[in-house]
Amino acid sequence: MANMEYNVPSERWPAHPETATLEGKNKFIGFWTFLAGETALFASLFATYLALKDSVPSDDHLLAADLFHLELAFVMTMFLLTSSLTSVYAVYHMRNNNFSKMQLWLGITVLLGLGFLALEIYEFIEYTHLGHTFRSSAFGSAFYFLIGTHGFHVCIGLVWITLLILRNAKRGLSVYTAAKVNTAALYWHFIDVVWVFIFTIVYLLGVM
Amino acid sequence: MAEIKQEPISKTKLNYIRRERTKEMRQQMVSFGLMIFLTFVAFGLVAMDMDPSFVIPIVIGMAFLQVILQFYYFMHMKDKGHEYIKLMMLTGMFFALAFVTTFIYIVWIGAPIQ
Repeated sequence: MANMEYNVPSERWPAHPETATLEGKNKFIGFWTFLAGETALFASLFATYLALKDSVPSDDHLLAADLFHLELAFVMTMFLLTSSLTSVYAVYHMRNNNFSKMQLWLGITVLLGLGFLALEIYEFIEYTHLGHTFRSSAFGSAFYFLIGTHGFHVCIGLVWITLLILRNAKRGLSVYTAAKVNTAALYWHFIDVVWVFIFTIVYLLGVM
Repeated sequence: MAEIKQEPISKTKLNYIRRERTKEMRQQMVSFGLMIFLTFVAFGLVAMDMDPSFVIPIVIGMAFLQVILQFYYFMHMKDKGHEYIKLMMLTGMFFALAFVTTFIYIVWIGAPIQ
């Protein structure tokens, strides 16, 4: 975009930069439609999990109550919830035309997301050692497919936000890049929305 | 393409917009505090080993409350111009509840395979 103006002075920075252009408006509408579709996707995985929870072929397989630790799920929740707040900060600074602070908060969001992902990988490795794998039981398949799809979304979100930070580092803020940041932030919030249901339905109801 | 069609904003107006944003940020901090609180209560109730038939509805209700806070405050759904988005998300939620209800009915309550 040759004629795109970067580092606009604040007097000419729109109040809602993310939807100031037609492209931004289309992104906004299109992305929310995508999120509604994602809701249905995760719902089908939740339904499968609830249907197949603790369905194991024999007694020597571990069940949900034996596997899950509340402490780990709690720390993972705190990581993701806080990263959701830091991406709110990023959007706040984007709207205030403060590029460097926006980049900083996006960076913190990525770090918190990485912390979450590391704990999830640790959790999966531990369960695999305990004999709870994708192929060990119907319960295992449903569990890993649900949590794994969420983890995959976290990976995509991390790569996405990292690429945004790197790509925008030199060129700065415009109504074009503002729309991109806003879309990525919406995605990151949605990941947290899904995690709220995961920690409630999988972990909290699992250990009872 | 994507040029800015923005009339210059006066200083007073700019200050006003910024104050409104700070106010919104305060609301978002409050909703974050509420979300943390709801998470603590949910984990606490489960950790206290109470009667599941009492805890399960509360915990699921708090999850919905937390998600509504996330949608309305963090994802700005309370703002103007989100009517289409509400329609989309409600459709998504409708399918979500339908999927979960039907599966639970088939597997737990209906028990068609004995």
